[in-house]
Amino acid sequence: MTDYIAGLEKQARQIRRDVVEMVYRAKDGHPSPSLSCADIVTALYFHIMRTDPKNPAWEDRDRFILSKGHACPALYSALARTGYFDPAELVTLRFLHSNLQGHPYAPKTPGLDSSSGSLGHGVSIGLGMALAARIQKKDWRVYVITGDGELGEGLIWEGAMAAGHQRAGRLTVFVDNNNYQSCGTVDQVSGPYPIAEKWAAFGWHCQEIDGHDMGQIIRAEEEARKVTGKPSVIIAKTIKGRGVSFMIGDNSWHKRVYTDAEYAQAMIELGDTA
Amino acid sequence: MNAIQEGTRIGFRNGLMELAEKRGDVVLVSTDSLLALRGEPFAQKFPHRFIELGIAEQNGVAVCAGLASAGLTPYIGTYAGFLTMRACEQMRTYIAYPRLKVRFIGCNGGLLGGNREGVSHQFIEDVGLLRTIPGFTILCPADGNQTRQAILASADTDGPVYIRIGSGREENVFSPDDPFPLGKIRILQDYGDDIVLFTYGFTLGRVLEAAEELKAKGVKAKVVEAATIKPLDAEGIAGVLAKTKCALTVEDHTVTGGLGSAVAEVIAEKAPAVLARLGLQDTYGESGFPDELLDAYGMSVNTITRTAEELVSKKRQL
Repeated sequence: MTDYIAGLEKQARQIRRDVVEMVYRAKDGHPSPSLSCADIVTALYFHIMRTDPKNPAWEDRDRFILSKGHACPALYSALARTGYFDPAELVTLRFLHSNLQGHPYAPKTPGLDSSSGSLGHGVSIGLGMALAARIQKKDWRVYVITGDGELGEGLIWEGAMAAGHQRAGRLTVFVDNNNYQSCGTVDQVSGPYPIAEKWAAFGWHCQEIDGHDMGQIIRAEEEARKVTGKPSVIIAKTIKGRGVSFMIGDNSWHKRVYTDAEYAQAMIELGDTA
Repeated sequence: MNAIQEGTRIGFRNGLMELAEKRGDVVLVSTDSLLALRGEPFAQKFPHRFIELGIAEQNGVAVCAGLASAGLTPYIGTYAGFLTMRACEQMRTYIAYPRLKVRFIGCNGGLLGGNREGVSHQFIEDVGLLRTIPGFTILCPADGNQTRQAILASADTDGPVYIRIGSGREENVFSPDDPFPLGKIRILQDYGDDIVLFTYGFTLGRVLEAAEELKAKGVKAKVVEAATIKPLDAEGIAGVLAKTKCALTVEDHTVTGGLGSAVAEVIAEKAPAVLARLGLQDTYGESGFPDELLDAYGMSVNTITRTAEELVSKKRQL
């Protein structure tokens, strides 16, 4: 198991390297919000979700929605590294005619289950997918990652109430609780705390974990899977910019471009993945 | 021979139930709007394909994105503005942009639809708002029979479809067997080439009546129904204007962005003509009985007739 977890952690390093590379090449994008959810994205695509990259439209696949769509470099990397498309394509991010839009657009990108970008939509879209499974008597599961600043969107709570009421047991939401949003810390700007109590009040099964501990992510999802008759939320404490020391605690990396020196430094810190 | 549909809401419900009998992908989504949609028989007959989501329209539309992406065809209905204004972004970014097959049923379209409820429940901007969004199909059936036919005719239309309906108090203009002319204008009366009266929806009966009055006064009008506002049959509109060169639009909607604007665009680009636009003149309505509201806000048979006469004499002076 230790080796297995180590393998996933190596994969997460690859995703982080891709994020830095993509933003550096694009000279645009949101690096630190991508790094905070990189471990959860890795766990989902390399361990948790039932997918078939050779058949992206496979009806019975599990679904994923990156509700905080600005973190899509991490998602694009996961899709490429699991084989949905050639990793060489990653550096086309945000360029004209690329399949990798600045925010996710499902019809363009192989393996992408939902568009996203304008915040607040993932829970509701995920609920729709979970209800579709129920109607069609399918057993796929639906995973969503939201931000914590994103919890300011009223639609999140419309979706939370509806999913609780619908007892949408196949829906699992990770809150990437990196404690920052665009203009500062979430407690300064929007005040989402306490987070778990809010979801619990809407009838959700709640867990709180370290969102960079691969073992905890996997165990929490296994726990969520055992819960029937209610949706699950996993509030994952994370660090914005995780993996690159100079990005941590400096919220300008929410959307910022690496200089050549910063890029080189970031890659050294992330280490190779061989 | 099909049964007469008593109003647009019943027409919607019955059309949807016919579709649901044949197609397992049809799902009805309510935002506490089941009663407004007259949808109880659907919910009783197809309980597993009925989803009640409560009073939360943005959530309702976003849930439809999830349903449609998984292969179902959701029909979501509530008051027109709660969809096209409150959930406008969801309709654009999460349905139209990814070209998902979701159907939107907007009740209380226009003054006739909203009538005594007042402005918060009277929607005069819905068509104009959606006309700006790429990929939408916008259908405005005139009565219950045409609403049923529009539901059936658009069942296989790609991407999102918006169907504007009213309160259920619309007069029947069409017979139950008349098909819905998806994507095409339809000439419903043709007394000659003095003027073309363009309309859609709940003003159609009034415009047909005005054409009769005009005839009695020696003005020869064509009545053209444009029930598909988008994609607009621009060629058809240009075609009927080529000889007539005189257009009056009448719509239970603001003249900004609706059929009046759409016809003005065709005139400017393809078919020079004189034009006047009846409808709400960049103003709001108010509470009132349906027909008296249309009369008060410039859509009476008298106003239509008088405006048409003025327009024809303007054309002749050019």
